[in-house]
Amino acid sequence: MKMNPKLFYVLAGTSMVLAACGGEAAQPKDDERVIIYSNADDEAVAVLKKALDDKGYKDRYVIQSMGTSELGGKLMAEGTKIEADIITMASYFLESAQQKNTMFKDMKVEQVPVDDYGTYQMPMLGNAGAIFVNTKALEAADLPAPKSIKDLADPIYKGQISFPNIMDSSTAWLLIQGILNEYGEKEGKSIIADLKQNAGPHIESSGSGPIKKVKAGEVAIGFGLRNQAVQANTEGMPIEVVDPLEGNFTLTESISVVNKDEMNSLTEKIAQTMATEAREAMLAEYPVVLYQDETLPNTEKAANFKRWDTTLTVELLEQHQAIFNEAQ
Amino acid sequence: MIKSTPMMKILALPLLLFFTVFLIAPLCMVAFQSMRFGAHYTFQNYSELLQNSAFLQAFLNSLIVSSCAALITTIIAFLLAYTMHFTKVNKGLRFFIQTSVTLPMLLPTITYGFVLIYAFGNQGTLTQLLGSPPFSIYGFNGLLIGYILYTLPIAYVLMNNAMLYIDKQYLTVSYLMHDRPLRRFYHAVLRPMLTTIGAAFILTFILSFTDFGIPASVGGEYEVVAMSLYRAMLGAIVRFEQGAAIAIMMLIPAVIGILLLAYLQRYQVAFKNNKQVALIPSATRDIAFSVFSSVVAICIVAIFAVLLIVPFTMGYPYDLTFTLTHVKAVFMQSELLQDYRNSIIVASITALLGTLLALLAALLNTRTPLKTRRIFDWFSILTNTVPGMVLGLSYLFLFNDSTLKGTILIIVLCNIVHFFTTPYTMAKNALQKMDHTWEVTGQLMQDTWFATIRRVVLPNMKATIFQMLNYYFLNAMVTVSGVIFIVSTETMLVSTRIKELQHFAKYTDIFILSLFILVTNLLVKLVLDYLSTKGSRQNNENES
Repeated sequence: MKMNPKLFYVLAGTSMVLAACGGEAAQPKDDERVIIYSNADDEAVAVLKKALDDKGYKDRYVIQSMGTSELGGKLMAEGTKIEADIITMASYFLESAQQKNTMFKDMKVEQVPVDDYGTYQMPMLGNAGAIFVNTKALEAADLPAPKSIKDLADPIYKGQISFPNIMDSSTAWLLIQGILNEYGEKEGKSIIADLKQNAGPHIESSGSGPIKKVKAGEVAIGFGLRNQAVQANTEGMPIEVVDPLEGNFTLTESISVVNKDEMNSLTEKIAQTMATEAREAMLAEYPVVLYQDETLPNTEKAANFKRWDTTLTVELLEQHQAIFNEAQ
Repeated sequence: MIKSTPMMKILALPLLLFFTVFLIAPLCMVAFQSMRFGAHYTFQNYSELLQNSAFLQAFLNSLIVSSCAALITTIIAFLLAYTMHFTKVNKGLRFFIQTSVTLPMLLPTITYGFVLIYAFGNQGTLTQLLGSPPFSIYGFNGLLIGYILYTLPIAYVLMNNAMLYIDKQYLTVSYLMHDRPLRRFYHAVLRPMLTTIGAAFILTFILSFTDFGIPASVGGEYEVVAMSLYRAMLGAIVRFEQGAAIAIMMLIPAVIGILLLAYLQRYQVAFKNNKQVALIPSATRDIAFSVFSSVVAICIVAIFAVLLIVPFTMGYPYDLTFTLTHVKAVFMQSELLQDYRNSIIVASITALLGTLLALLAALLNTRTPLKTRRIFDWFSILTNTVPGMVLGLSYLFLFNDSTLKGTILIIVLCNIVHFFTTPYTMAKNALQKMDHTWEVTGQLMQDTWFATIRRVVLPNMKATIFQMLNYYFLNAMVTVSGVIFIVSTETMLVSTRIKELQHFAKYTDIFILSLFILVTNLLVKLVLDYLSTKGSRQNNENES
């Protein structure tokens, strides 16, 4: 038998060399670039980038997109040690991160927001919820288009609707707010129970789950972010938006600056630019009023805006989660 | 038996240290978190879970569906490996089966869910071929199929590797002694394979038990415990403490696994020889196994074929015009090159360091009398049980203040720990099946232990080493759950970019990037397969 020691040496040798490289390649700390973590959609990120580039910040920042759940986990676990200098995220989530880690810096905002978000966040965009239908699937199943969320509780839609789970996704909250606001807790619960029955396996953990199922023709009707449905329609898919009679509720996404020991001097300027300079284009893309003296542009927009009458907090979300779970 | 030498101890020390820092410490961190309730430390989180009937039902569901999946996977994997080693299969067919069975391993699990929906859903490719959906993909069925697709390649690789080291001459002997076929099969194949079969069952069970990508897509109303964990850790409201308690409870099956494996260990057989001998001819056997394996392989390919359809159509399922626009758009993105480079670096270093580590651990475990050797089995089971998400999050907590944070190195270390079990088991299987008198002979000939390992043992397990390299590389390329929390803007990978695309609901792009990873992995696999067969052929030639 021929002995072959080469393999072992090659293996051991290269791993050491590569390990060394790994260590080196691993510390590219570019102090010049401001790092922005965002859970916002592609379109919103594009708006932010354009505003920042127009103001001459090109190559001075980097936007890292991530899912709501990953960003949420990072905020809670890392606190001020997070890599990012600026965060854009659902406002209620920023609030709970602030409560747990006291991690954001106070900001001066000139415009006055419609809601009180605290001094450490600047509202960036409002996301509206809506029903959307796949017209071809609806036709194939010979079903009438729904007008309200309550309609979806009708047994004729069994197996044909999909909505996100409020335990996992904040998009689902827009649905539950609509139900509870319109029908109160008692009737609301029975509607939620019927909705659960009708959706069966199509209660999604991701907020974008329903649009995925509706796009794939898996179900005919979904509830989710209005924007994603509008976009699918623009892409030529047979997707139509239905603004529910219960109203289009909205979720605000805000900008916060992480309070770090060593702050990049550009951080606050960039955050301000994101909040102010990008706002007009953002409003056109996401037609939801966030600041006083804002008017809606004359673009495609939700028919029936409504707001929950108290501030959206984690405690409220917990209450609504409990109602959702109790509805059987 | 040989005596322990200083060399063995010197090798064991860094290994023990490594696992203490990167496995035990993070796990302690999780245990610590699970006891936290508000400002004080109690068992409150656990008692709340135990009183929660929905959670208990999910736990039970997980046990049931994972056991079913593990049982079916183990049987299929055994039959497939048997086809490869103990029957005559046409060379081209052999290549097709081998490649298609391991195909799912080359893809991120995050892709599986979409693939299942696009294949078996109402508008799915297979549904359209069959006319109506063959069954509801949501719930138990979907989970079962998903888990089998996910774990079959791993079980197959383990079995395939272990069968390499079975002495086929025993079959001939048994034949000559006029044993009945079943008896022959039992003594010459099944019994020597028992430990591996057990290991494969436990491994696939735990992989299914802890995966959350598949239930997130096709779980439907069939709640499983991995979803409870995901919900607690990453739901609309983050409850780390509750999640940590769930994670710790998910370790219970692992403890049972360790006991089972220890029991099965007594069936381990070492062979002095693993020469290839001519098989006893049997046309019926050859045809039956060829047909069975081909059917399995065709099913897998048919399910994943959707990957090749969706990205190249304008808007599946409503506009089926062929187009390259989606593909071009993806390749226009400037970050992709950087991500790809990072992925390749991470996967290569993981493969080299991980293989070295797993090999050393297996060597110390099987071929030394060290007192600490058993501990590597525990590490192996533990790494397998900890869901990637939990491992990643615990790294995030533990290394938050260290310089490791945001580096390529922490990703590599996380991968090495996360995927340690299979390469370690492969190496162990190979080493245990080798003649145990080699070291004694070496000692008598005044060779050091290390020299014997280097000059005799390692060259005899070349094929396994290449398979280990391959396993680590593929998994480092496809993993999402383990690394999603520890990648930074500078160390983004292709697989974590897929997770980002999922957030944007860009399924076409996800399929394209998955194909990208698939092609890379396929190339690496082919090269490593070539190198490993080339190596063994040379060995055979030298022997004759």
